[in-house]
Amino acid sequence: MPMYKSPNVHGHGMNCGEHALQNGEVDPSLKALEERQDEVLRRLYELKATVDGFAKTVTTPDADLDASTPSPGPAESVFKGTADLDSLLGKDLGALRDIVINANPARPPLSLLVLHALLCQRYQVLSSVHVHSSVSAVPPPLLSCLGPRHIDSYARQRFQLGFTLIWKDVSELQMKFSTQSMCPIEGEANVARFLFRLLGAEPQDPAAATQMDCWIDKAVFQLSEGGSKDRAAVLRSLNAALGRSPWLLGQEFSLADIVCACFVLRAGQTTSAPVNVQRWLKSCQNLGHFDCVYPFLQ
Amino acid sequence: MQYRAGEEEQQAQSKKALKKQQKEAEKAAKKAEKQAKLAAEQQEADEDDFAKDRYGICPMVQSQQKLDRALVRVQDLTPEKAEQQIWVRARIHTSRAKGKQCFLVLRHQQFTVQALLAVGDRASKQMVKFAANLTKESIIDVEAVVKKVEQKIESCSQQDVELHVERIFVISQSEARLPLQLEDAVRPEGEGDEEGRATVNQDTRLDNRVIDLRTTTSQAIFRLQSGVCQLFRDTLINKGFVEIQTPKIISAASEGGANVFTVSYFKTSAYLAQSPQLYKQMCICADFDKVFCVGPVFRAEDSNTHRHLTEFVGLDIEMAFNYHYHEVIDSITDTMVQIFKGLRDRFQTEIQMVNKQYPSEPFKFLEPTLRLEYKEAVAMLKAAGVEMGDEEDLSTPNEKLLGRLVKDKYDTDFYVLDKYPLAVRPFYTMPDPNNPKYSNSYDMFMRGEEILSGAQRVHDAQLLTERAMHHGIDLEKIKAYIDSFRYGAPPHAGGGIGLERVTMLYLGLHNVRQTSMFPRDPKRLTP
Repeated sequence: MPMYKSPNVHGHGMNCGEHALQNGEVDPSLKALEERQDEVLRRLYELKATVDGFAKTVTTPDADLDASTPSPGPAESVFKGTADLDSLLGKDLGALRDIVINANPARPPLSLLVLHALLCQRYQVLSSVHVHSSVSAVPPPLLSCLGPRHIDSYARQRFQLGFTLIWKDVSELQMKFSTQSMCPIEGEANVARFLFRLLGAEPQDPAAATQMDCWIDKAVFQLSEGGSKDRAAVLRSLNAALGRSPWLLGQEFSLADIVCACFVLRAGQTTSAPVNVQRWLKSCQNLGHFDCVYPFLQ
Repeated sequence: MQYRAGEEEQQAQSKKALKKQQKEAEKAAKKAEKQAKLAAEQQEADEDDFAKDRYGICPMVQSQQKLDRALVRVQDLTPEKAEQQIWVRARIHTSRAKGKQCFLVLRHQQFTVQALLAVGDRASKQMVKFAANLTKESIIDVEAVVKKVEQKIESCSQQDVELHVERIFVISQSEARLPLQLEDAVRPEGEGDEEGRATVNQDTRLDNRVIDLRTTTSQAIFRLQSGVCQLFRDTLINKGFVEIQTPKIISAASEGGANVFTVSYFKTSAYLAQSPQLYKQMCICADFDKVFCVGPVFRAEDSNTHRHLTEFVGLDIEMAFNYHYHEVIDSITDTMVQIFKGLRDRFQTEIQMVNKQYPSEPFKFLEPTLRLEYKEAVAMLKAAGVEMGDEEDLSTPNEKLLGRLVKDKYDTDFYVLDKYPLAVRPFYTMPDPNNPKYSNSYDMFMRGEEILSGAQRVHDAQLLTERAMHHGIDLEKIKAYIDSFRYGAPPHAGGGIGLERVTMLYLGLHNVRQTSMFPRDPKRLTP
């Protein structure tokens, strides 16, 4: 919209392009003016996008965004470490290395959905969702929580890793991998720790690793299983820590952020959370990996 | 003095005669007394049997009359009918006299109810005696008043009521000596050994199948089996399938020459069909798109195993597909899942009843069905310590082990194994497009045992001829079959299951003869 209305030189409701000079040509100076106007508008849009991008960069230190794209997608790869699947999971002997997770549909494991999205960026993952006969019906969003079925899903051999989520009547979330050599892993946090290791991004420094575990335990025992006093205490700790650095472990995004953010989101009432916590939740959202989680929040 | 001797003799003789006479007279008197007593008792009995019109043995029902009488089923005897006077037809399950009372348990199919007959103003001593002497399994008509009971009758299915009998008539009497006792036939195996009570072995059961089928367990098994068939039909009809009937007397062995029954056919011989395979496929070539059939299958295999019969009921499917045979696998597995769900949701009573005698784990499955590849299975078995070649067929113990490994990891009793090696499959199996050593074929397993073998079929006459020659099959014998693919044939795939085996595995039973009403095996041709 123009900032002020300029009197129409040639008449009412007509643009200059339609007005020919008496000899049938468009006045070149008018054309140039139009072109300059278009150019100015285009540069304004570009500037706006860049500023938006920078704003996000400031609040989201790890985001690796292309600032000129108006709607950012998920980050290319947040974790730059290396992991060797063969040494972590055993050699690929021809059987798909399939990670089986049994979860109760009443308590969807949000942090594992985030980790699944991260694994898919890193590896060729064959994801499937099944409903166990111990459960009679499951709401449709839970059936599509791992995203659309891979086109090549009929050729299991082409994948490096399998991620099989089974909605089942279990009291505690359970993960099975190699039943011959590994006992099942129980509890969302423990399974999250296992999956995180596959990304090769765990902190090498023992102090940081311990701190990460500490945050995860806080989320599990106080946020999730504790009463309202415990929850308030955790939110205060989070707020304090996040006042000092953008992520819980400092400058690096880690599993602690994934698990704590998911547990905070699941507990609800995020609008009444302390300031730093809210900012941090927004940063997590901006990374894009948490998109899969939002359909399951009330 | 001779005169006197004769007299003495005469006297002696007459003394003897007198004694004899006396004795005879005594005897006669006793006899008369006895007879008089009996007559008197009889009279008494007749006089006292005021109830003689209310019991007895009915003349054989030859449709002499149309009685306008409603018979209530035992399963409908509930407290709602309290104080009603009703007629019931049932079998005598047990009868026990105790002084002036007689306790009967009446049975109809899986349902039992207690009935009481006591000497009183409605029943005479003779009537109670009659009831107590009735043989087990006799079919009787009873008129009784339904009475609520204070304490639940644990031993019967109808626990809240009992019948107070007014009239009792025998419709069909059973012989006194039964070849097997029903309560023995339902006793769980372990229990029999422990308490020294008898159980009935399988051969005795099968020889007297008519009585064995009356047990609650058998009634439940075959009702569930009927459910399997029903669910199979309903699910496929809803998916747009057409039911077809295929011939069982055929001119050539379909699966291979060895295990086929020969029948004399006028001046020549014919065979009993080993599967409806060839005809299902011809129906697809005839544009029926999706077909299924339910019918007998004859395999002349001389195996006396727990899971083989020489005649069984095959439930077969064949389906044309668009681009990939997995469309068909998905359809078949979805049908199986619908069957399992239907049984889980609607036949719990039957499942519990079978479990009483044959305890087992409930059947578990995943939706959608788990599908693994053959190579994966080999890798899993090797990891578990089995030594086998990559293209070797799975032996039965390996199948069982694989079933256990899958159960451990995925907690499912039903899964599909895809991409079998080509060498171990029939000649009409379509080879894998990318690896000639493998094929587009699959098996499905329940509780670690194979229930379905299927594949994409070769629908090209040229390739089919090659494959048949490769397997050394006489082309003349399958000419009609190959001809059906010469005039445009859609790509198609299918598979078939055995009704008895699926029922057996679903319920966790261990012998397929338990789920076949009148089983046929190399050693049994009757009943």
